[in-house]
Amino acid sequence: MTAGSAAGSTASVPSIEFEAVSFAYPDGTRALSDVALRIGSGESIAIVGQNGSGKSTLVRHLNGLLRPTSGRVLLDGRDVRPMHVARLAGLVGLAFQNPDRQLFAGRVSTEVAFGPRNLGVRGQELEERVRAALEEVGLAAEAATNPYDLGYSRRKLLALASVVAMRTPILVLDEPTTGQDARGVARVRAVVAAATEEGRTVIAISHDMAFVAECFRRVVVMRVGRVILDGRPEAVFGEAAWPELRATYLEPPLAAVAGARLGLGATPTASSFVAALSGRAWARRGSHT
Amino acid sequence: MTVVPAAAEPGLPDYVARQPSGFYRSINPGTKLAVAALEVVAAFVVPGWVGPLLVLAVVLATAAAARRLRGLGTIALATTPIVGSILLINLFLLPGASDPIARLGPLAPTWSGLWFGLQTVARLMAFSLAIGLVYLTTAVDDLLSDLARRGLGRRAIFVVGAAVQMVPATIERAGEIVEAQRSRGMDTEGRIWRRARGVLPLAGPVVFGALTEVEERTMALEARAFSAPGRQTLLRVPADRAAHRAIRWAAVFALVAIVVLRATGRLG
Repeated sequence: MTAGSAAGSTASVPSIEFEAVSFAYPDGTRALSDVALRIGSGESIAIVGQNGSGKSTLVRHLNGLLRPTSGRVLLDGRDVRPMHVARLAGLVGLAFQNPDRQLFAGRVSTEVAFGPRNLGVRGQELEERVRAALEEVGLAAEAATNPYDLGYSRRKLLALASVVAMRTPILVLDEPTTGQDARGVARVRAVVAAATEEGRTVIAISHDMAFVAECFRRVVVMRVGRVILDGRPEAVFGEAAWPELRATYLEPPLAAVAGARLGLGATPTASSFVAALSGRAWARRGSHT
Repeated sequence: MTVVPAAAEPGLPDYVARQPSGFYRSINPGTKLAVAALEVVAAFVVPGWVGPLLVLAVVLATAAAARRLRGLGTIALATTPIVGSILLINLFLLPGASDPIARLGPLAPTWSGLWFGLQTVARLMAFSLAIGLVYLTTAVDDLLSDLARRGLGRRAIFVVGAAVQMVPATIERAGEIVEAQRSRGMDTEGRIWRRARGVLPLAGPVVFGALTEVEERTMALEARAFSAPGRQTLLRVPADRAAHRAIRWAAVFALVAIVVLRATGRLG
């Protein structure tokens, strides 16, 4: 597994393992405590939790921006500690929450090309990646625009495109739907779906529970630096887990609450809710006839 | 001069009303500014080594008593690049110096250059550390409240406040920008020419972000009646005891005296 070979190819998507990872910031704030988590190759996983629960700190360990105070972070069984961030960037693409903390170029296309260029991508391949990434987030018509002439939600999509264009086997998104309208959320969902379809590992931090339930097959809930729930959306958003969720100031998705109130079982998504409701209606109709 | 009570307004919660405590921290911000002004003037106006060394001794002793020596050390470290250049320039290029320490090819460092450079560095350190001590022992809010109480215009206060608060905010923003660009493969650990290519991706968002922040802060202030006519009230004012006022006036008189003595040639 090498960064250079991995970028742009989904043939080798490394598994991720956090082995009893603890981390404290220099001021003494303990952000992670003995986190043990295994993320298989190609999984789509959402990390949720209240502010300050350690979500962003956790994902910053994946590309070496932070190094554990104790414990290890392994990619395909190899400790990332000795690897440079610039090298890990070819494996782990991390889209930050605030686009204004990264945009610098005078043109949208130059901004998107920044990451792939750093990974050594040149020429036609680079152009193709930039074009595809901009199309994916709906900014193809803005290639020549200055990024700061775009509104906040579109700057955020641009920041996402700039990481998508790196085509890393692991894609990490920090609050991708914050500040997005319905169309923007749909774009983000499409990006997650496409990456999952291609077999990449997608990890998202989010407070948008509907987005989490709809787009991810596994949900990890964190609280004060520890993982307190880990499972499929049906289990994590199921009624039995609500006390744990509420302890972290999270509300389950509306579909899950409505399904539970109507006795439909676990319905974390709108489609599962409608399916359960329809199933019940058909069952009643069948019993009447 | 109005006597301002040390006690806070009744009814204010403790976290608002609490006055700073501890040696030097509890002294009125205006008094600390006056003392710092005296130290700066003394360091530069009193000739020879006496001025800067005396100021450095006073500042370091005060910082030690206020338990702020470590912070002062960080400020001293931050001046290293400018200190280094001053020393080098004076060591090798002081005009008229003709007492070489050694010959290094075409270069000849001189004793006069070394002494002059060291003296200049001592003055610069005295200046930086005197101002730094005020920064380390004064909450920005207290300083601004005190300046407002003394009649400084609200726009001037905004400029001072924005400038002071911009330092930690910019440091935090710069840290996050570095992380974001490293995450996109920018090399900050490799060869120097590769790192040099990162200047624009790092400086661009820092500068633009700072400008945006000032603009947003201005609009947020206006939205909260910043420019409304009439006199603004203060939520709380820092204590200004008789001893603080005495120190302040003594500092002002000493400052004026030093300048006058220097101007009349009585300080040498």
